[in-house]
Amino acid sequence: MQAYIIRRLLLVPFTLVLISIIVFIFMRAVPGDAADVRCGAAGNFDQQCFDVVREELGLNENKVNQYFKWLGDIVLRGDFGYSLSQRAHINEEIGKRIWNTAQIGLLSIAFTLLIGIPVGMVSAVRSGKPSDYILRFLAVMGLSVPGFWIATLVVIFPAVWWGVRVAPDWVGWEEPLTHLQILAIPAFIIALAGGGTIARIVRSSMLEVLRSDQVRTARAKGLRESAVVSRHVFRPSMIALFTIVGLQFSLVLGGSVIMESIFNIPGMGLWVISAVGERDFMIIQAVVVVFAAWFLLITLLVDVAYAWVDPRIRY
Amino acid sequence: MTTADEIAGSLGLEAQPSFARRRLNALGRFVVTQPLGTVGAIIIIIMIVGSVFAGQLNTVDPKTSIREAGPLDAPNGDNFFGTDRSRRDVWSRVLYGGRPTLLIGFGAVAITMAAAIVLALAAGFLGGIVDVVISRLIEIIIAVPAILWLLMFTTAIDRSVQTLMFSVAFTFTPIAIRLFRGNVIQERSVTYVEAARVIGASGGRIMFRHILPNLAPLVIVAASITIPAAMLAEAGLTFLGLGLEPGTPSWAQDLGPSNRPYFRLAWWLVIFPGAALALAVLAFNFFGDSVRDVLDPRLRGSGLI
Repeated sequence: MQAYIIRRLLLVPFTLVLISIIVFIFMRAVPGDAADVRCGAAGNFDQQCFDVVREELGLNENKVNQYFKWLGDIVLRGDFGYSLSQRAHINEEIGKRIWNTAQIGLLSIAFTLLIGIPVGMVSAVRSGKPSDYILRFLAVMGLSVPGFWIATLVVIFPAVWWGVRVAPDWVGWEEPLTHLQILAIPAFIIALAGGGTIARIVRSSMLEVLRSDQVRTARAKGLRESAVVSRHVFRPSMIALFTIVGLQFSLVLGGSVIMESIFNIPGMGLWVISAVGERDFMIIQAVVVVFAAWFLLITLLVDVAYAWVDPRIRY
Repeated sequence: MTTADEIAGSLGLEAQPSFARRRLNALGRFVVTQPLGTVGAIIIIIMIVGSVFAGQLNTVDPKTSIREAGPLDAPNGDNFFGTDRSRRDVWSRVLYGGRPTLLIGFGAVAITMAAAIVLALAAGFLGGIVDVVISRLIEIIIAVPAILWLLMFTTAIDRSVQTLMFSVAFTFTPIAIRLFRGNVIQERSVTYVEAARVIGASGGRIMFRHILPNLAPLVIVAASITIPAAMLAEAGLTFLGLGLEPGTPSWAQDLGPSNRPYFRLAWWLVIFPGAALALAVLAFNFFGDSVRDVLDPRLRGSGLI
């Protein structure tokens, strides 16, 4: 087990370096650079302006040197450098933004499980009954109806009909209630899609356990159905969830990018989208690497927890 | 003259129904046992017909303004779904708007399946270093959220339908490879493959003539379930204004930044394109679920698809 964790931990930096190379190549292939954007925005189309800006940003250097300088700064000093368009320190920006995205991410994972597990359980226990059909239908609805459309409707219609602002301006924890409202709505919408997926998995893995011999034994010895489900079915059927939570996490980050831009939440997602418009590849590179690192560590934790929950698993 | 059927009849065997007859029976069984899947299939067919023959369905050019209509006209007899800010007909935009989304859904999934089959066969059959390299690549692709891959592709290359198709396929291929690879490894050790090996069949022959055909049901299931996901991936990006070129009629485009300021004034701008997209994804998901139940019920809830 320990050896496995160590092996996995050693792979994380390796994967991250490969990702950083790919991202770097991608971003240097972008037609037009930050100098175009900056000089263009200033209405200055002199060659001189481009030269000055490129010199200042170090864009004239050899690409390989640029890469190693960038990577070296990250590895040695944990420094992502400066953004190209606003010359803001990326670490500082990340520090401000990552927690906002993390709050939405954690909240939507929580909602995903809170929606998915009960729906899947009820659906399995009442399998074949009308309530099962309705819940399964809702689960497919949840993972089909685009979250960005739901979010748009939720922002628009209450405002038109009742003059209610569902998405107030960002306030932070100074006003806890408003803050929670701002976070909860996008997190809930992201969770609808994940919840639908989780519900389907929980249902089918519970059905499998419900048909197993150990459950027949439990019933045969006269255990109440509620005790059968809570003691003999719940835990083994939750194990299937571990295989999917890692992927869910990636979906949540992706969903957060979209929700941040609809609800105007100053997180990593909104930042990366504005960076695309400004050709600010330093920001894009940093966000991709941070998200990837985040994802790799979470999946590692999930796999370790998997082995801990299911004693049959040996690495 | 004695026909094969008569001989069979004289031997007391039932005549085999013809190929077309068997297909028809299978179709009939699908309709009876999978009502939701059938409804899904009908909606999909209607949507494909609607977007392919958009020009014949009382539409005008979706990109040009109509002189007779005002901006933001509510739905009426001339413009069934109303008009937008630039006096363009929303009905036409919804019909034409299905084209890129459906095209990217089908195209991306075709590429995904082709790539995943080749790579899964290579990983599962050749094993060794090939397998290790492919698994590392899968890990790299999965570690970055799909939407970031997509926006890197569209920023670095362009925002055409082909680029989006390719990049959506890029993000879905690893998941499909993981699914197929396990199956290839299982098949590799089955008795009939051993038998083929014993009689001296080459590796290539075993791979393509014996293992590949057995992968077919899984591929069909994976494809039908990946199409709606691929459509949503493209839609999410286009919605942010980073997908298809602005102005291209597409469902997600019309829900995006260009129309957003007018949603408060004109509900038809947000309801019709959104409902079309949601209905399409829903129909594909229902159809895909039914295909899976018919072809490979073991996959239900495997979490991968």
